[in-house]
Amino acid sequence: MHRLSARPKLGAALVIIAGTVILPIRWHAWFITAAAMLVLTMGLSRLPLFFVLKRLLLLSPFVLGVVLINAFQPAGRTNWLVVAVKSGLCLFTVVLVSNTTPFSQILRVLRSLRGPALLITTMALMHRYLFVLADETERMRRARAARTFTRGRRFEWRTLATVVGQLFIRASERAERIYNAMCARGWK
Amino acid sequence: MNAIEVTNLKYRYHDGTEALRGVSFRILPGECVALLGPNGSGKSTILLHLNGILPEKPSGDGTVRILDQTVAPQNIENIRRQVGLVFQDPDDQLFCPTVQEDIAFGPQQLGCNDRDVAARVEKALAQVGLAGFGHRATHHLSHGEKRRACLAGVLACAPAILILDEPTSDLDPRGRREFKGLLREIPATKLIATHDLELAVELCSKAIVLDHGQIIADGPTMELLSNEELMLAHGLECPHILRHRHPH
Amino acid sequence: MHIPDGFIDGKTAVVTGVISAVGVGFALRQVQRELPPRKVPLLGLAAAFLFAAQMVNFPVAGGTSGHLVGGTLVAALLGPSAAVVVVTTILIVQCFLFQDGGVTALGANIFNMAIINSAAGYAVYRLVGRWLKGLRGQVTAIGFAAWCATVLAAICCAGQLTWSGTIPWSVAFPAMTTVHMLIGIGEGLISALVFLAVSSARPDLIAETTPTGRPQRLGELVGYGLLITLGIAVFVAPFACSWPDGLDSVAEKFGFSHKTMAVLPAPAPDYQIPGIHWAVGATAMAGVIGCLVVFGLALLMGRWLVPKLKEP
Repeated sequence: MHRLSARPKLGAALVIIAGTVILPIRWHAWFITAAAMLVLTMGLSRLPLFFVLKRLLLLSPFVLGVVLINAFQPAGRTNWLVVAVKSGLCLFTVVLVSNTTPFSQILRVLRSLRGPALLITTMALMHRYLFVLADETERMRRARAARTFTRGRRFEWRTLATVVGQLFIRASERAERIYNAMCARGWK
Repeated sequence: MNAIEVTNLKYRYHDGTEALRGVSFRILPGECVALLGPNGSGKSTILLHLNGILPEKPSGDGTVRILDQTVAPQNIENIRRQVGLVFQDPDDQLFCPTVQEDIAFGPQQLGCNDRDVAARVEKALAQVGLAGFGHRATHHLSHGEKRRACLAGVLACAPAILILDEPTSDLDPRGRREFKGLLREIPATKLIATHDLELAVELCSKAIVLDHGQIIADGPTMELLSNEELMLAHGLECPHILRHRHPH
Repeated sequence: MHIPDGFIDGKTAVVTGVISAVGVGFALRQVQRELPPRKVPLLGLAAAFLFAAQMVNFPVAGGTSGHLVGGTLVAALLGPSAAVVVVTTILIVQCFLFQDGGVTALGANIFNMAIINSAAGYAVYRLVGRWLKGLRGQVTAIGFAAWCATVLAAICCAGQLTWSGTIPWSVAFPAMTTVHMLIGIGEGLISALVFLAVSSARPDLIAETTPTGRPQRLGELVGYGLLITLGIAVFVAPFACSWPDGLDSVAEKFGFSHKTMAVLPAPAPDYQIPGIHWAVGATAMAGVIGCLVVFGLALLMGRWLVPKLKEP
């Protein structure tokens, strides 16, 4: 599953997601087939079940809020179940695709589909430097914490904001250096 | 013909501080030259002038000639084909998601066809000892591997002149040895800005000492680096290799 | 506020998708026209920056913490169109890589968080910044703008959910709005603090990326304004207008009557301002009061963060 090329995977995923969202829940056949296919795919890709379940159950407060609201509505109970099933299936699909396809391949597919070049370049650079910047943030935060002797939320907010501000400055300076590196190898 | 000829180069930062105060030197084809100096002496600034990244706007403050062509906005493309610059921070240079894509970047910009690009990438990877690393994600490489990937990316463009900014900083002793070995094999004209004085002695026949934006000394490496007074006066020191006559 | 798949239905997904595609396309064209080539990597790095910044925990109380969303902040630092592109990039990557937000919901999420947060936030920021001068004015402006953008985005989100039939407007609107009025305060405060940190260390970064008083910006903002107005017209207006009746029917279902539901004291049992139902009036009043209160808070914050000495 990991070695299958990205295009069919993405195509299939889109079909499943679009179908799940659009089709009414009465069409049981669709949902059952889709679920079965996804479980089969998970087996083929040898992704650990626990890992997948963990990703599926990461509920944001937003989702919880909507669920709670619906639970208290008179017509809400079935509504909530429908939303949960649809949402769960789509989430499952995305988890499977993203964990069996390297991001660079996804970008390549987008490029071949003639997506907007600037947006794709931005996504590529973002993905590349995500971890670099996340590391820098962590290091700065730790360095700050090591020199912080005052407690108090107000002070901590100021410190964190300074860290974030510094991060922006470093990101800007790095962007400048990357531009130089691109030009040095002939980028126009 | 000189490979690199810099005449009276001056440069000021945005805030007005003088980075370079009239720097002049010459490098012959095939030479391997070390650019030495304390932090802030202007080494990186000089290197950025050699492929036209600086000055941002042509100011007429001195000239830089590469292989007898003056560096000017109209021929920058040509200059950059001849000059390969390996930057100080490998994360700045490896901006593509995979190693293969990053090394292919240069040849693609040069206009090579797909087959040629693939061949160059293979060759470059083999040259730096990273054969088979093509599909690795750049952010997952170790520091030493990143530095080698950067070198490969520049070698894939087959430049006549190779310029390196602090290539062995942050490397562990084995990484340093391996990188030195790699550099030794490359036949291009080399200019290496470095704090690694051992590297300067081992690889470079000539050395240029820079301090506060001015050239202090320019001559054979052994002679300069054994001059303790000179070294200490400009934020450097005599490398152990010269002091103890160690077999390595 | 990332909407997952399944929470919005097909028609909403398509409409939001189209509106967002137009908005993002417009932003990309603006960026290509305005941004000098040396700033192109800055978009990617700004996206990575904002993503990393969103992960920073700003402790609130007990175990909860606030996070920056940052559309307005990035708009103030890089300009509205660049911010739209940056936030869109983050949303797409978050959707595919981190399953934060659904694929079919991308249109809605981009409209709410990229377009409204960036463009509407920027407009408010410049408007207030024109009126209050100096660094203090800018800090106040960005704090208030971030709050406004957050609340407006929440309202649109509620509208999208209602149109999809996921939750009724009578619940969605008050819930989303009140929660985000509170969240917005955090967003405003963090945005202001970060803006101050950047402008203290590198004021040139802000000056060069937000040229003041350029006529082109007006055209840009008009474009976004039209798009946002369209969005509001489709997602919010239909429900907001029929809401009073909806509220009435809910009230009847639960056995309350008009009189007992009166929030404002009415001179007569069936008091009605001609043409304006009391419920809309009450909401509008609450909204205006809320805005004024937050604006006042923003002014105080500006005064607190930027002491008189720092004024040029």
